[in-house]
Amino acid sequence: MRAMLAQIGQNELREKILHTFEAARHAWHIPLHIGPIDISINKSIWFLWIGAAVTFLILFVGSRLLKDRPGAYQVIVEELYGFGRNLGGQVGEEGRKWFPYTLSLFVFILVLNFIGLIPNTYPVTANISFTLVLALLTFILTQYEGFRRNGAGTYLKSFAPPGLPLKPLMVPFMWGIEVLGEFTKPLTLGMRLYANILAGHLIIYVFLGLILYFGSVVAIISVPLSVVFYAFEIFVAILQAYIFAILTQVYIELAMFREDH
Amino acid sequence: MALLIAELDPTGIFDLGNTSLIFWEVITFLILLFLLIRYVYPPIRNQIRERQAQIERSIDEAEKTRAEARELLAEYRRQIEEARGEGRRILEDARKQAEAQRERTKKEAREEGDRIIQRAREEIDREREAAVREVRREVADMVIQASEQVIGRSIDRDEHERLISQALDDLEAEVAGATAGDGSETA
Repeated sequence: MRAMLAQIGQNELREKILHTFEAARHAWHIPLHIGPIDISINKSIWFLWIGAAVTFLILFVGSRLLKDRPGAYQVIVEELYGFGRNLGGQVGEEGRKWFPYTLSLFVFILVLNFIGLIPNTYPVTANISFTLVLALLTFILTQYEGFRRNGAGTYLKSFAPPGLPLKPLMVPFMWGIEVLGEFTKPLTLGMRLYANILAGHLIIYVFLGLILYFGSVVAIISVPLSVVFYAFEIFVAILQAYIFAILTQVYIELAMFREDH
Repeated sequence: MALLIAELDPTGIFDLGNTSLIFWEVITFLILLFLLIRYVYPPIRNQIRERQAQIERSIDEAEKTRAEARELLAEYRRQIEEARGEGRRILEDARKQAEAQRERTKKEAREEGDRIIQRAREEIDREREAAVREVRREVADMVIQASEQVIGRSIDRDEHERLISQALDDLEAEVAGATAGDGSETA
């Protein structure tokens, strides 16, 4: 075992397992380019599409089988819808109009998280490019709603909290900090999802990798532990999808009602 | 941009700037959003709203039915109460009637009895008078016979009878006077 590990070598190991992105870039590859930009279809894109298709099908089939006396499946879909509806209205009732976006985001991320847990798939949500782009969309929508509802002047002014002492000094300072905070929001949003999903996969990998380092005796401990973490990952998958969705909703609503708070 | 990415992620382990993933992610997510918002959410929303309306209707109906049932119950109670009152009244009437009937019967019986007694008394009076008359005649006859035997000859019967009758009347008057005298004396 140890000999095998030595043969693979550190770089190759990183390429093979830890560096899933590299491996995925060359699997199931269809090269495509728009000018200099590479838009090749590879394993990560395939699983992105599978996730989107599963998301759509779960909800679409649910929406076409509607009956007055619902079965279990319809109840699940309706509950999901009701849950999404209650994601809205965190700050103000008007924010509820954004819940279709948040709900779609929730189900999409949840499905991708779950797909990532299946062996030999690609965990799309453990890719920082993916999560940061979603966070960026949230950021764009947040700023759009902030400017649209409050008007540019009021919205920009509202970044400086009222009732500050030493106004000439503190107001620009606090305004700067608040604006900076506005930019860190999408960053943390994307990083949180990425780090949690990646860490879950890494922990399982590390536990199983211990077998390669210390021999098959360790399997007695590391296999049950990795199973436990696997189960925990299911919980994390739901939790992180929820956190991403609800934070998106809250950010948008906070921007909408910036003036009132 | 590429330089910035290279600086942020020199080993490439973070897979920043994966252009193909970013490109397809945006496209896919936008299409997914469009499809979901256009084709999936409206029917679910309508279904939920419809069911909500239906449940509300059912609840309203149930409340109406309950109110009706309550009214009906009250109506029945009222009817039963009425029937009970009616029964009581009928019983009362019957009792009164029976009482009256009894009274009437008693009175009639008393009257009948009185009448019978009256009749009996009259009868007795009549009998007594007849008896007195008979006794009188017997006495007169006996006196005449005795007188004839004593005198030894027949006497004028009519004259005699008048005399005896007068004597008896005198006697009677005397007796009456004596009883009246007794009465006055006792008074």
